[in-house]
Amino acid sequence: MRRFNRKLRKMAADLLDLPQDVVFDLPRLTMIGDRQLYIENHRGVLHFSSDRLRLALSKGELEITGQELVIRTIWTEEVFVEGQIKHIEVRDME
Amino acid sequence: MNASWMQWVRGIVTIRVRGEGMEGLVNRALAAGLQLWSIRFASGGELECEVTVGDFFRLRPILRETGCRLHVVARLGLPFWLVKVQRRLFFAGGLALFFVGMYLLSSLVWTIEVKGNELLSEEQILQVARQEGVFPFQWSFRLEGTEVLSKRLTQKLPGAAWIGVEKRGTKITIQVVETKNAAPKPLLNPRHLVASMDAVVTHILAESGRPVVKRNMKVRKGDVLISGIYGDAAHTKTVVAKGTVKGLVWHEYNIVSPLQRELKVYTGNTETRWYAVIGGRAFKVSGFGKSKFAAYETARHMEKVTWRSNEMPLGRIKETVMEVRKDNHSISAEEAKATGLLQARADILAKAGSSAEIRAENILHEKTDNGKVYMKVLFEVEQSIVAERPLVYMQGE
Repeated sequence: MRRFNRKLRKMAADLLDLPQDVVFDLPRLTMIGDRQLYIENHRGVLHFSSDRLRLALSKGELEITGQELVIRTIWTEEVFVEGQIKHIEVRDME
Repeated sequence: MNASWMQWVRGIVTIRVRGEGMEGLVNRALAAGLQLWSIRFASGGELECEVTVGDFFRLRPILRETGCRLHVVARLGLPFWLVKVQRRLFFAGGLALFFVGMYLLSSLVWTIEVKGNELLSEEQILQVARQEGVFPFQWSFRLEGTEVLSKRLTQKLPGAAWIGVEKRGTKITIQVVETKNAAPKPLLNPRHLVASMDAVVTHILAESGRPVVKRNMKVRKGDVLISGIYGDAAHTKTVVAKGTVKGLVWHEYNIVSPLQRELKVYTGNTETRWYAVIGGRAFKVSGFGKSKFAAYETARHMEKVTWRSNEMPLGRIKETVMEVRKDNHSISAEEAKATGLLQARADILAKAGSSAEIRAENILHEKTDNGKVYMKVLFEVEQSIVAERPLVYMQGE
């Protein structure tokens, strides 16, 4: 049933040319150089230190590594991170 | 750090969180709708972040749940500032008083300027303005609109055609345009017009007064020409006699005209003197000493250093000294006679006024003697012969 649901959604998204993040509840990342990162649609902070930030996603998690990371602002679905960003990794938990 | 002013009004607290479940704290705080910002890692494994004062108190129960400990690092914003103000009440009072005083003083009228008045005195205008409530140290908000004021001032000052009132800050300018009246006529006493010299009347025109003489009548000096008295012996009225009377007058001239004429001649000998000009001063450079010429004239010519139409304060003066000689020129008797007559005619016109006309001239006698021409000439001139004589009332009779 869930599988079918997902397939239907994908079909609808392809057919109607909808952005994937809206349909599949995926995170959207906006990055400005290596100093600012704006993440929408996260599911909470898993770990935070000055060189590593792990965020929970609807499916899986997102790891940001860098130096002197600062969470400039944080809302329930959005995070605005500043600092020297070196590495972004998306881990799928399936 | 970059908190908005709304957050500043609500008060910003910088806190440091210590403990195991710091991420859990952040997640829970977000879930509870609290706002944390500028979350950064401080030294010693502590999490530093900023919250508003209201959220700070709502963070307390979450702290207990997650087992974190917290201490406040800095306080910023209006609530804390107000607490400070409470401690320094007089300072705050002074601050408020300053702004109130500034506002009150700037809403006063400080100066009133009156412009454009010549006949109306400034005091007079200011007094009328005072009646309308325009005076120094009046509150600006008690004044009427400038249009109303200008209308009322114009009504109250009959000598002004228009009055404009302009308010700029604490200064009021009253611009006056005065009505222009024709200059009053000079007051004159009742008078006669009498003859200023012996003459034969050629022309008489009385504007006011009674003409006594007629054309071709011979008058003597002091005779009444236009009388200032109307009426008969019983009923009289005195007026200012006005009018023009012209008459033929004879002038006898003794003219002496020399047969030699003095002429000034340049000999052609010159000397040159140079001056240097610095600023507004000239210094003699050459041509020192007295001139060797007995009589001379000098001509100066200055040149200044210029660069693209800009004059510099430097230059030179060339002074040319020209020798002058006086020559005596002998002229014919005819020429001497003509010169003498010309001078005599110019003299008559200068004395009798520009309206005078020379009707005839007769050379009565003429002789040449001692290098001069002697002449006796009679000029017949038509000129104004009017003189004024005031009418004086004899009293006591």
